[in-house]
Amino acid sequence: MTRLSFDPAFGWPWIAALGLLALAVAGFALWRGMRGWAWRGIAGLVLALALAGPALERGTRAALSDIVILLDDRSASQNIADRAAQTDAALAALERDLGALPNTEIRRVSLGDDADGGSLIGTALTRALAAEPASRVAGIIAVTDGLAHDSVMIPAAAPAPVHILLTGQPGDWDRRLVVEEAPAFALIGETATLRLRVQDEGDVPPDIRGRPLRLSIGLGDDAPVDYEVPPDRPLELPVQIEHAGQNVVALSIDAQAGELTGLNNAAAVQINGVRDRLRVLLVSGEPHAGERTWRNLLKSDAAVDLIHFTILRPPDKMDGVPVDELSLIAFPTRELFMERISDFDLIIFDRYRVRGILPPEYYDNIRRYVLGGGAVLISAGPELATVESLSLSPLAPILPARPGGRVFDAPFRPELTDDGRRHPVTAGLPGADGEDGAEWGRWLRQVQLAPNARGQVVMTGSDGQPLLILSREGEGRVALLGSDQVWLWGRGFEGGGPQLELLRRIAHWSMKEPDLEEEALTADVVAGLNLRITRRTMQPAAGPVRITGPDGYAQQIELTEIAPGRFTGEWTAPAAGLYRLSEGDMRRVVALGPAAPKEFQRTVASGEMLAPLSDVTGGGVLHLAEGQPAIRSVAAGATAHGRNLNGPWIGVTPRGASTVTGLVQSPVLPDWGWLILIAALITAGWLAEGRRRT
Amino acid sequence: MRAMAAISGVLLAMALLLGQAVAQDAPDIDPRLIRAADEVALAYMVTGDAEIDKASEAGLRGVSAVLAARTSVEPGQPIGIDPEIDDLSLLTFLYWPVSDMQAPPSAQAYMRLNHFLRSGGVILFDTRDGDLAGLGAPDMSDTLRALAAPLDVPPLAPVPPDHVLTRAFYLLDDFPGRWQGRPLWAEAPPPDAAQTEGVPFRHLNDGVSPVLIGANDWAAAWAVDDRGLPLYNVGRGWEGERQRELAFRFGVNLIMYVLTGNYKSDQVHVPALLERLRSEEVIQ
Repeated sequence: MTRLSFDPAFGWPWIAALGLLALAVAGFALWRGMRGWAWRGIAGLVLALALAGPALERGTRAALSDIVILLDDRSASQNIADRAAQTDAALAALERDLGALPNTEIRRVSLGDDADGGSLIGTALTRALAAEPASRVAGIIAVTDGLAHDSVMIPAAAPAPVHILLTGQPGDWDRRLVVEEAPAFALIGETATLRLRVQDEGDVPPDIRGRPLRLSIGLGDDAPVDYEVPPDRPLELPVQIEHAGQNVVALSIDAQAGELTGLNNAAAVQINGVRDRLRVLLVSGEPHAGERTWRNLLKSDAAVDLIHFTILRPPDKMDGVPVDELSLIAFPTRELFMERISDFDLIIFDRYRVRGILPPEYYDNIRRYVLGGGAVLISAGPELATVESLSLSPLAPILPARPGGRVFDAPFRPELTDDGRRHPVTAGLPGADGEDGAEWGRWLRQVQLAPNARGQVVMTGSDGQPLLILSREGEGRVALLGSDQVWLWGRGFEGGGPQLELLRRIAHWSMKEPDLEEEALTADVVAGLNLRITRRTMQPAAGPVRITGPDGYAQQIELTEIAPGRFTGEWTAPAAGLYRLSEGDMRRVVALGPAAPKEFQRTVASGEMLAPLSDVTGGGVLHLAEGQPAIRSVAAGATAHGRNLNGPWIGVTPRGASTVTGLVQSPVLPDWGWLILIAALITAGWLAEGRRRT
Repeated sequence: MRAMAAISGVLLAMALLLGQAVAQDAPDIDPRLIRAADEVALAYMVTGDAEIDKASEAGLRGVSAVLAARTSVEPGQPIGIDPEIDDLSLLTFLYWPVSDMQAPPSAQAYMRLNHFLRSGGVILFDTRDGDLAGLGAPDMSDTLRALAAPLDVPPLAPVPPDHVLTRAFYLLDDFPGRWQGRPLWAEAPPPDAAQTEGVPFRHLNDGVSPVLIGANDWAAAWAVDDRGLPLYNVGRGWEGERQRELAFRFGVNLIMYVLTGNYKSDQVHVPALLERLRSEEVIQ
């Protein structure tokens, strides 16, 4: 390619002006009859041309090779059966054949497992195409099982035929467990419904197709239960959620001989048990300074429905004021303590004195309610040491302590006992043991308490007297706080203390909040397969945690004590799956990662996801099991796959692309050449004019 | 080794010093205040005006007696409070008669008062000028303004007819003391507290108004002598005695409000809550 180019020394107007000037001078000379006019005019024009800098431009071109993108899928699903060897053989043959084509380069793109699991074939194709100039791509050949996990990323079109060579054998079949629908949250005590399906894919042998199979279901660490279910039918599975926090449902079906993989025959579903709104019945024996403390605590808790009754006027006081001038309502004791008692999660007696409002059988009913799983919290003032004490009611057998009859009036600073430092209700209360230089404020009085054997003293008060006692009675719980002056902490007396936190924890412990259980084994996923195991216990030591997992995996993890009663350890799972943790009586099931990895959800090779792209580009979807395809060159736009006597073939389209490799610019005349030319023309003009004179 | 011994000696000395510091840090508490905390004793501000202080003391004694006789609250003997020396965090309720005789409290006292208000205490300011105010005669509003200026007083509004104070124990439509008909001011409800249909109370959180302001000279109406007889005239004849009775009823409502907060306005919802329990049972 050659062309003329200009590189003017001045702007084009100046050069044009110079040319016009030269023409004007020549015209003037002609008019005056000067014989050298033509020479001088030409000299002027040549000068203008020289200043315009004419040059010759010459380009050089080179033909470019064609590129064939060869994508090999090395994801985990490509290791099933003999697929890896099949892929290797196909790639070797393709490389050999493509290498034999003239002027053709191979771009290998190898695709492994994504960090999140799965084969991102679409992404790999898009990237590979973006990395190569579209005008040189002569073909794309992918050796894969066709199971892309990013179907939206599969490009809609490509500049050359896309051929999909599928691995696998024609008789491949697989049975898998599919969880179609599982709730992430469910209310405790209610039934969550899982929707499952046992899916058969591929060429299922007739003796297995449609026959019932065994599905085993394990909730948490219960022993699995087996059911006979039909395949290829949606199944609804009701699961009763028993406890708060993570509930793991492990599901599995038996592996069949001959199926591609057993890895997709199990699934783990995690359902978070959440509590319905907690219903708290607060009964205040009299209005007192600490009553609003309870109200503030319970009303600020969005998870609590508070029903509050205060004895504003005891039955023995009358003032003769007509009822329509009073704003008092009757205390619906029968409804609350007999009929509806089981609806409450917690009953708080706040400075309650036995004054003939509740008949003895009501107290007896409260006792039964606690033994059956209810909770009672008693915040006692000095009335507990009187004849109106709750300890003289039929409630007494479940109280964790007996009042000693004395009320200590000396100011004291509440302190944690050794048990209290381990117990989740009091462990780590801000300011405990004077940490951070802050000390709790003092309280001014408490009731003498003599705890029974089941009562656990977690706080002491005046002279080491038991102050806060927790105990379990039957299925239920009872907490007894031997002072009514926790409100002084809220008021900031002598700096105050963690009043709301303490009361919140006592109340929620009574209601069996899992985070406040004394004995607990928890496992938190830190990241990926890393697990932090925490054992909370009232025992002085915690043994190693035994971990068992899939494929007979077993391991023991030693725990270290990081705080009184808290032992932790770190552990990394070798692979995703369902692991069972146990320490002593404590058990925990953890599902790490997907129970059936993405790669093994579907395993029967299929070209359906990549076929649209193949069709659009004229490429083909072929099964390697039907023979290694030969490679030939075809014209762009022609059908690029087919079959002849020797077997299948696929085509690449040579593109004949070329590139400009260089550009040479050479001036028409060198500067001195222009000088000589102009000088010669001027001299010629001069000579012509001079000759006339002679 | 010697260096170690020296260091441990220093540490020991420091520990001893610290121990002393801790020991000193637990001062004796005024027994009157312990009693206030234990018995919900009502407290009044000592103004320095002997007449007013006597009326306050007698007034709180009178209302305490009424509470003990008619309700389950049985307050102890009232106590006079000087915020300059007394720790207010043991108190629940403070009656503050406004007097121009009172020297303005110091900055330290205001700090205590503000802490008291912020941590749940209630102050009732009584300008005791319900007979004069609004007539153009010199009243106590300037003195009140000067005394209350350094306090963290929220925006105030006259008590609306649906306020829990009107039904904390007795049903009241006015809050008379020795005078009547003057409005009582309390914390203004938040602008978004809309009135719900069928519920006569606004949905407020349990925040009790930290400050109440009125002019009805309640202490005088409540005041009784040692024999339990009224000390001051209220109104005239039978009408006056009725007004005194209503003043006591206001006193009862006031203390119930201070102790139980919005308990009474929540009780409106109890039947609905119980009803919900019942209906849930039917569904299951």
